[in-house]
Amino acid sequence: MTDKETIKKRAFYTQKIRDFFNAQNFTEVETPIMVTIPGMEPHLTPFETQFTDQTKLYLNHSPELQMKKLLAQGFGNIFNITKVFRNGEIGGNTHNPEFTMIEWYRENANYQNIMEDCEKLISSLAPEITYQGNKIDLKSPWPRKSVQELFKEYCQIDLTSEDPFKNHDTSGCHTWDDKFFKVFLNEIEPHLGKNKPLIVYDYPSSQAALAKKSTKNPFFAERFELYIAGIELANAFSELTDAQEQRDRLKQEQQERKELKKTVFPIDEEFLHSLESIQFPCAGIALGLDRLLMLLMDKKSINEVLLFPLWQQLQLSHKE
Amino acid sequence: MATTTTISQGIAIKFKDQAWLVISSQFVNPGKGSAFTRTKLKNLKTEQIVENTFRSGEAVELIDVVRNKCQFLYNDGEDYYFMDNETYEQFSFTKATLGDATNYLVENTECYAMYLDGVPVSIQLPGKMSFKIVSTPPGVKGDTATGGSKEATLETGAIVKVPLFIKEGESIIVNTETNEYVSKG
Repeated sequence: MTDKETIKKRAFYTQKIRDFFNAQNFTEVETPIMVTIPGMEPHLTPFETQFTDQTKLYLNHSPELQMKKLLAQGFGNIFNITKVFRNGEIGGNTHNPEFTMIEWYRENANYQNIMEDCEKLISSLAPEITYQGNKIDLKSPWPRKSVQELFKEYCQIDLTSEDPFKNHDTSGCHTWDDKFFKVFLNEIEPHLGKNKPLIVYDYPSSQAALAKKSTKNPFFAERFELYIAGIELANAFSELTDAQEQRDRLKQEQQERKELKKTVFPIDEEFLHSLESIQFPCAGIALGLDRLLMLLMDKKSINEVLLFPLWQQLQLSHKE
Repeated sequence: MATTTTISQGIAIKFKDQAWLVISSQFVNPGKGSAFTRTKLKNLKTEQIVENTFRSGEAVELIDVVRNKCQFLYNDGEDYYFMDNETYEQFSFTKATLGDATNYLVENTECYAMYLDGVPVSIQLPGKMSFKIVSTPPGVKGDTATGGSKEATLETGAIVKVPLFIKEGESIIVNTETNEYVSKG
């Protein structure tokens, strides 16, 4: 049940976000919601449908492939406010199977430029918020910590060492990445961004298939996430533009999907081909608009900022 | 054994060799990895509350807790008194132990008492319960069922958000796990 004031504020903030990008001469683009090849992320499940001629179609879980194709066409800086879909993601305060993503990409830029965009955009919406009783100062600059630093600080773990999680609770986890997430979610994430936003950067390369590897240490990739009040708000990369390396990494993800018994999608050849035309280094980000609105309006659950959340629709349809 | 997909509020599990009641469970998916279930657990002996995140699909040992039907009798300002409907024995809990459940306790409410090794450790309310609304401001004309909500005070004193068309004196059904309005009832 979303009240009228929340719906109006939602429109107000969305307009302010558009104004922020338009003022910097970004071009707003609209990418398709329905696609023939969705992204390859091993752990995401898209909604499937089919065209009348039986061709399989998917609801996009991220517009990033389309955004990078547009970059290759030389559009310059672009942004997109679009619906994305992830099957099965329901049952918490921060997930709805359909949600709104703000994506923006910059030419001649790396992930540090995107970090600055985040600081400017969010502090322009509110210099300070109180979220669930906690005061959070949004003014820039924001602290930045690498994933490696956080694991050292909270868990005395060196991620590049052999079997780094051996003294920690990783029950139920078999792969390196699953162990990483279990320790991260249990021992690190609840502490992040309590009174000030936090930028967490340089994730293991295995968790960033579309990101450029770090030149300092290729074990890590130039990817960052933004946390405010323990909520993961955004995910960004210095974009990988090497077509051959991208092909290898998509193949790895195909293999992972196969092992997880998920539908294996073909590699989007048009996407790989387009990477060859990207002349400049570029960087991009996906930021969850609904989660940002939760913070700005002090709402505990994403369902309180959505119009007609799926959870509610399901409850109503079960009753009839 | 059960998997985390069945972990839900109200069940008891074994974790780190101790017995815990699941007070809340939340789905989380970091996107670049497996899905996880984040839980809040209350130690059934010490009442200590901890948070733990399980990987979805992880095997978790369920604990057999004896559940008997019981009835809420009264509260004396501090403690809440119940009677087991099978043994007729009476027992009490502090407000702190019961937590949010005190929002929904009306005299004679039927619920479940949970026993661990013969000792009552917790109560479990029905998932959906009906309450009379004792006060709520009138709705504003022109608003639709999905367009807005307002606060309503239940007969227990608890406050729940309800749609604008709900009037004082009416009964509504409340989800006692999420503290949310379900329907007129």
